[in-house]
Amino acid sequence: MNGDATGRKAADRLRRRRTALRHTVLIGWGAIIMFPIYWMIQTSFKDSGEWVTWPPNWLPQDPTLKNYEQIFAFDVQQAGVAREATEQPFNIWGSLVDSLLICTISSLIALFMGTFLAYAISRFNVGGSTFRHMVLMVRMIPPIVIAIPLLMYYAVMVPFATETLLGSRISLFDTRTGVSALYTTVTLPFVIWMMLSFIDEVPYTLEHAARLMGAGRIYTLRKVVLPLVASGMVVTFLFVFILSWGEFLLALTLTHPDVSTLPVLLNKFQSASEGRLYGPQAAIGTVITIPVVIMGVLIQKHLVKGFSFGMMRR
Amino acid sequence: MRPPNGPFARLGAWLSRERVFRWIPFVLVEGTFILVIIIPFLLTIYISFLRWRANRPFEQAYLSGFRNYEAVLSDTGFWAALGRTFYFAGFAVVFELVIGFVLAMLVHRVVRGRRIYITVFLIPMMVVPVVVGYNFSMIYIDHGPLNQLLSPLTTLLGMEPRIRWLSDPLAAQWAIILADVWQWTSLTFLIFLSGFSALPPQLISAARVMGASRWQIFWWVEFPLLKPAIVIAVVVRSMEALKLFDPVVLLTFGGPGTSTQTVAYYLWEQVWQFNKFAFGAAASILLLILFSALIFTGIWLMMRERTRLDRERAS
Repeated sequence: MNGDATGRKAADRLRRRRTALRHTVLIGWGAIIMFPIYWMIQTSFKDSGEWVTWPPNWLPQDPTLKNYEQIFAFDVQQAGVAREATEQPFNIWGSLVDSLLICTISSLIALFMGTFLAYAISRFNVGGSTFRHMVLMVRMIPPIVIAIPLLMYYAVMVPFATETLLGSRISLFDTRTGVSALYTTVTLPFVIWMMLSFIDEVPYTLEHAARLMGAGRIYTLRKVVLPLVASGMVVTFLFVFILSWGEFLLALTLTHPDVSTLPVLLNKFQSASEGRLYGPQAAIGTVITIPVVIMGVLIQKHLVKGFSFGMMRR
Repeated sequence: MRPPNGPFARLGAWLSRERVFRWIPFVLVEGTFILVIIIPFLLTIYISFLRWRANRPFEQAYLSGFRNYEAVLSDTGFWAALGRTFYFAGFAVVFELVIGFVLAMLVHRVVRGRRIYITVFLIPMMVVPVVVGYNFSMIYIDHGPLNQLLSPLTTLLGMEPRIRWLSDPLAAQWAIILADVWQWTSLTFLIFLSGFSALPPQLISAARVMGASRWQIFWWVEFPLLKPAIVIAVVVRSMEALKLFDPVVLLTFGGPGTSTQTVAYYLWEQVWQFNKFAFGAAASILLLILFSALIFTGIWLMMRERTRLDRERAS
């Protein structure tokens, strides 16, 4: 009796120790994850003298909003915004608008086309049984391999073709349309793949019943299928939006002076030629990161469920 | 009432016929792929046979056979960059898999605070890669916080406390690998976590009732069931790691020297700095052939797992 109790106590202690160890490891990794983000956010509140010091300041000695004022200034020539004579005046409004427009439009078009194709694959097995895997191939091609052809295509071929066919030169290079078309294409595989996993779960009998009662095909799709996968569509949209929002190589390649997405803007200040502006960079980084992290947290529950590539569904 | 007539009505009727209707989305999507990806590729194949640099007009270009391909294949920089890409990808993927697996296993067993852990651990995946590169460039500064954190260790080992993370060749290579691990362990964690949460609990409690130890349960019950998740994680992460580009640009510009040039960065530099378009086109085609082999292997692996799973589920 007594021995049993001590045995249980020992087992209890062992379990508690194991739990404590587990939490220590997990909190340690959490700290590693939060550290770079913390460093960026606190740098964004530092003034130029504090950006690089030894030993580094772990919190801004003299917190300031100057960095944010600088990147959000409407009038870039405004006195006091560019703090030094060598600094080029700039703000993020242009890039913000470009990024928002490109990502929203391309994600919406990809969502629309991808959802219908996913429906067709799921219901009619369009393209054969291996098609859903082949779609992923487009995603796996390294972007640099697409970037070089696309640059020549956008800058040379499309103007040439439109000039001979339509009589006016239309260049896709350095335009929002060009980048949006590209983002639509490269995110389509993800849309198809994610929507497939949602649509596969809608029982076919529901549609069948609606069709028997005389509903048209489009009507059935709109009133029966789409409401059931609506939350899935929101998740897919946000996921694809996050992907486009962070895309760098293709944007860097296909835009130069006129259009620039936020990652390209941030990169501009990384090269020595424009001077490293650590503070404003940190502010831009914070501004880019916060919305997507919020979106990510919103869809996270679905990601855990849905990121099994349809292999581990119960 | 007469049925509607006219060309549009007839078109609508044709489109809504069963055989046509199901192919509409297919044609739309494939059309996009052809317009945006296939045609540029055909163009690239043509350009790869030209003798042309972008600083000269396109009209002066002339066909030169396989010269560009020979130039690429005999270019030591290209092979070195390719080897380096595999070296970075190999180390990064191994670390990501191991850390992601352990974290998923621990989180799966945790009862309290589970959701907070998941939320925090998934954040790096959402952060824009360029921002990750920027963050690490701040942390790696010679006078930066990382060197300060490491200074007790480095003084203990009698090393120079200011490790030159971005200007020493070896340190710069590992700086890039670490940044990649920081960001993409979240993805392997996610894949493994969904693998763990899909494990059938009856099977595990049955094994426990039969007197299996924790380790036995893990090795003989859980691990085999997680195999599809492992295959997915390996395939997805390897493909992504071979694309490595953003942190290289943000952290080192391929330097010091050429010690951190990945193949993506190398080609980018050849085309955009040296205007070697035809060279870049030939290299793209060669890379595509190489990567296609890898991609087909990856997809074949995933499909095999899937059919195996379907068969098990059916029986």
